[in-house]
Amino acid sequence: MGNKQTTFTDEQFEAYQDCTFFTRKEILRLHGRYRELAPHLVPLDYTNNPDIKLPLTLLVSMPELKENPFRDRIVQTFSEDGQGNLSFNDFVDMFSALCESSSRELKTRYAFKIYDFNRDNFICKEDMEKTINKLTKGELTPEEVTLVCDKAIEEADLDGDSKLSFADFENMISKAPDFLSTFHVRI
Amino acid sequence: MTTQLQRQGSATAVQGTGYMGDQGSPRLQRVPSSRSNHNAPQFNWSPASTAQEDAGQEAAVPPKDLRGLPIPMALKRAISQVQQMQVPVLSSFQSWKRSKAKSLSRGRKSIRGFLNYIKLWRKSLNQIGGNFGDGVQSYFLFLRFLVVLNFLSFMLIAGFVLIPSIVFRSVASDPVNMTGPAECRQYDHNPAALVKFYSYFLDFLSGTGFMEYTYLFYGYYNNTMVAGSDFSYNIPLAYLFTAVFYFAFCLICITAHMGTAVRVAVATGGGATGSYSRIVFTGWDYGCLGDRSTKLKQKNLHYQLQVDLEEDRIKNEAASLTLGQKIFLYSSRIVLSLVAFGLIIAAFFAIYQATIFSQSKIDEIGVLGLIYEYLPSIVITAGNFVVPVLCDQIALLERYNPSITVIVALLRSVFLRMVSLGVLLFTLWSQITCFQGVSGKCKLCHYNYESYPCWETRVGQEMYKLTLFDLLITIAMLVLVEFPRRIVVDSSSSKLAQMVGRQEFVVPANVLGLVYGQTVVWTGALFCPLLPLINTLKFVIVFYCKKITLFSNCRPAAKTFRSTKSKVFFLLVLLFGWSLALVALIYSIAQIHPSMSCGPFRSLSSMWTIIPDSFYGLSQTSQGFLFYIGSQRFSIPLVLFFSVVMCYFIALASVYGTSVNLLKAQLKLEARDKQFLVKQIEALSRTLGVAR
Repeated sequence: MGNKQTTFTDEQFEAYQDCTFFTRKEILRLHGRYRELAPHLVPLDYTNNPDIKLPLTLLVSMPELKENPFRDRIVQTFSEDGQGNLSFNDFVDMFSALCESSSRELKTRYAFKIYDFNRDNFICKEDMEKTINKLTKGELTPEEVTLVCDKAIEEADLDGDSKLSFADFENMISKAPDFLSTFHVRI
Repeated sequence: MTTQLQRQGSATAVQGTGYMGDQGSPRLQRVPSSRSNHNAPQFNWSPASTAQEDAGQEAAVPPKDLRGLPIPMALKRAISQVQQMQVPVLSSFQSWKRSKAKSLSRGRKSIRGFLNYIKLWRKSLNQIGGNFGDGVQSYFLFLRFLVVLNFLSFMLIAGFVLIPSIVFRSVASDPVNMTGPAECRQYDHNPAALVKFYSYFLDFLSGTGFMEYTYLFYGYYNNTMVAGSDFSYNIPLAYLFTAVFYFAFCLICITAHMGTAVRVAVATGGGATGSYSRIVFTGWDYGCLGDRSTKLKQKNLHYQLQVDLEEDRIKNEAASLTLGQKIFLYSSRIVLSLVAFGLIIAAFFAIYQATIFSQSKIDEIGVLGLIYEYLPSIVITAGNFVVPVLCDQIALLERYNPSITVIVALLRSVFLRMVSLGVLLFTLWSQITCFQGVSGKCKLCHYNYESYPCWETRVGQEMYKLTLFDLLITIAMLVLVEFPRRIVVDSSSSKLAQMVGRQEFVVPANVLGLVYGQTVVWTGALFCPLLPLINTLKFVIVFYCKKITLFSNCRPAAKTFRSTKSKVFFLLVLLFGWSLALVALIYSIAQIHPSMSCGPFRSLSSMWTIIPDSFYGLSQTSQGFLFYIGSQRFSIPLVLFFSVVMCYFIALASVYGTSVNLLKAQLKLEARDKQFLVKQIEALSRTLGVAR
């Protein structure tokens, strides 16, 4: 393609194209975005798979994530160590799962993980209250928050344990027509 | 919950491997209790054993779609490497199939990459979506779809009608001699010798004068039928077939575009239930950028939650209305609907009168003449501005649900815009064919040859004027209304200015404008073959104008606009416009006598008759084949076959629906069983604990 220095080998491109929803050009563009977060840390040449991770604070400063109230949770969900340090593989994975062509099942799974603040595989009342507070930034009174929380769990909970398992969440999401378009980061 | 595991494809799952740290990767959590094991994905590293389990499947498991697995990238790459290393024993046919599938997927990937690269306005659309939300972006996506559709249609028309006409005209073949009264064949299209310089500009705006006898309009095309030794080209036939195929092509494009949207809309059902959980989990648009839109998004969610709490309250109130109040409400609704209907009828009458007046003043010159020419367009546009505003107010008075109010107002606007175009066409037709009378002016040539020596060109000119006027109004609104409004609101600090505020980008009204413009083009394409090209340019200009006004003058909407259901609605309205244009096309082709003085069909009694005429020029075998296809022996079994296929799909759909309902009920029952068993366990452990 006329690059003076190759960033990835053809083999790596093939692997990325198999494992994500991105094309070659988009993967190179993502690499550029990853690199400009920390140009002195991230090398241009990724052919020998350097093991470099960027911390959470750098990643949530990206314009696509900066305004999102769940930015910390998103980055933590896709990190391997759970603390929010993303390698380039995790970075690409994150944007692939959140991109336009990603499948509904994949997005539902990751959405569940993001909203599950205490990571117990259930969205309980506390998780719900944290979600609502992050969404409305304290505009609702505590009574209204509790009311909305109760109503939401009542609507979605199928097995009656007053918390949402993945099956409940998925069932509720399947009835929401906008989920695919709102759970989508444009990069 | 075994259905969930089965749903994950041919048993792909990942067990937590040992490389995690103390905290554990959030994606690969090994949950201690086996009860919630189904929440963590499982992976089976040996596809060979699963292949043996699936007795009914093919002997080799095809490579799984790794992109859809919710596991980290490093694992996915490891899995793909393992898959590549495992070379299962295949027969030569299956290995050939495998390699073909692999090259096909590689080809598809490269095509996807190429298409992404050339996608028109991708960056602009992303910007718009990020700053103003999905609803506004859906308008621009619709606009892009129409631009591409018009451009492809123009390519079609250029290839089959325009270029052959140019070629044959330059070769200077003589048009076919024809019979008929001499008066009908008079057509003076040469512009006057001495014209004022500004008349060129007026002619450009109205399609008359120097523009009338050009490739732009129907009247310029000849009915040349070239028949060489091994090459023959029949221009009239090509013209007719291109027009018909153009309509079919547009229908296919619209239906294909609607396909995905309809599937999503059907799968998610009504979407009315579960509004609180839906707002909380899907309310936030992850793609939104910019500080201003974020604050607004938060306000918007707050507003939505409050609106829902409010609607619940209203619903409780409405259920408790007394009988007298109900009667009053319903009767007021009927009266207001009649008022709205009356307004629309008044608008139609105004259009009718304006068209007749404009046609009678066709010989005026100068600017006054231009205004008379544009009178129908002006009246239609004025009606399209005034009547929807009034209908909105009326709908508010009717006190429906907020969502029903929007739909009712929208339907009324659609009706107004589409049928006003129909009224214009009807008026023109009545003038041209003297109400299909065989007396008076239309007796000699079956059409009004004195006022309309070449009536198709006149109809084409009307459609051309409508298109041009639409564009001029858009630009005029931008310059004269929207920019000044923004300047006034930003600079003055009076209360009135703050109350009015910056304008919002109202998506439904704008989309209806696009649909109206496209319907005009469809109606006029038969008479003005270059109209799709003009429309492409017009829509490109509209795109940039609307984008400029969006970013400079508009504020993000307080209420979001649902994009999934609305996409289906836009395409349905577009189809409605298409069907109206189809009615006009069929009537023009089949019923009205073509002009005898101009155009490719001048020697025929109707445009349709070219087909039977050239049919008998075909060879015997082709004739026999086509007769067979049209005969009852072939068509009735074909119709029966398609009905059977349709019944099959309907039955399948209903069976799926029933099974979905059954599974939902089963889910609820199992949950209740689980609760019962848990309570039993607790009771038992209590008695055991007490006993101990």
